[in-house]
Amino acid sequence: MAQALVDRHDVELAALAAAGGRQEFGELVRRHGSAVRALLRRMGAQPSLADDVAQDAFIQAFERCSEFRGEGTFAAWVKRIAARLYLKRVAKEARYVAEIETEETVAAPDPGGLMDLDEALKTLSEPERLCVSLCHGAGMAHPEIATALNLPLGTVKSHVKRGLDKLRARLQPAQTLGRTQHVG
Amino acid sequence: MSADEFDPAIERLFARTPSMPDAALFTAQVEQRMQKGSRVRVVVLGLAGLAGAVVAVREVVSVNLNLGEGGGAATTGMGQGFEAVSFNAQTAIQSGLDQAGLGNLAVGSMSGMQMFWIVAGALIAVAAAGVVRLSQEV
Repeated sequence: MAQALVDRHDVELAALAAAGGRQEFGELVRRHGSAVRALLRRMGAQPSLADDVAQDAFIQAFERCSEFRGEGTFAAWVKRIAARLYLKRVAKEARYVAEIETEETVAAPDPGGLMDLDEALKTLSEPERLCVSLCHGAGMAHPEIATALNLPLGTVKSHVKRGLDKLRARLQPAQTLGRTQHVG
Repeated sequence: MSADEFDPAIERLFARTPSMPDAALFTAQVEQRMQKGSRVRVVVLGLAGLAGAVVAVREVVSVNLNLGEGGGAATTGMGQGFEAVSFNAQTAIQSGLDQAGLGNLAVGSMSGMQMFWIVAGALIAVAAAGVVRLSQEV
């Protein structure tokens, strides 16, 4: 009896998808679709644009499935494809290149300490948000981000550092609370 | 929390997938696009195969007409070449039938054009089957 799709590992499904298995790839989309969409939204894409780019990324991943060797996770692989597609879109608009040295967003303290990551990311400036999401969400290295955004490496590092500092300030109370609740 | 502790923590937060109420719809849309792309490929490959077959048949008919009119030297040369190919095909098929114990079918009694059309039909059928198979795999 054939093994059910839900029981199969991502690598196995990707191999079957590379041989033309649309059902197998559909299972991969079901598993990782939300993660890819969430990443794009965290990078600053509007929901409709994020969904468009995520769909394009999965279609491209299906066509290039034979290139996936299972060296990283399938989700990470698709996320990188999606991130690059999104960057191409925004590069056309030249948004981030023009806004690199924009106003400093002041992170107001979160009184309840219950802010989640998505809310915390909204307090970052757009370049910081993009750089942090590319680094920690899409798993891209700093030089890779610098190349993709056509920015100096030092600027990218600076955006990531400042973004993380702001996130740390916003999220630390929530994490401490979450840990306390978990332990208790 | 130090920076060293925070970096893995933020990665864990990024790794958490928020639940999206329209996840099923998104999956269906991607599958629909995959299906659509596949259909487009089938149609394009099918049309290409059909166009190729039409051109091939037209060329064959044109050769046939020229032979019938007993045209110039070039046409005569083509005709001779064609007859030689037909004869070789006949010989090969006949020897194959002989080996299979079906020598009494007397392929040699068929005219060159009959044999050509049979071979051409078989080749077109094989090509069409190949296109269909390819479109299923792509």
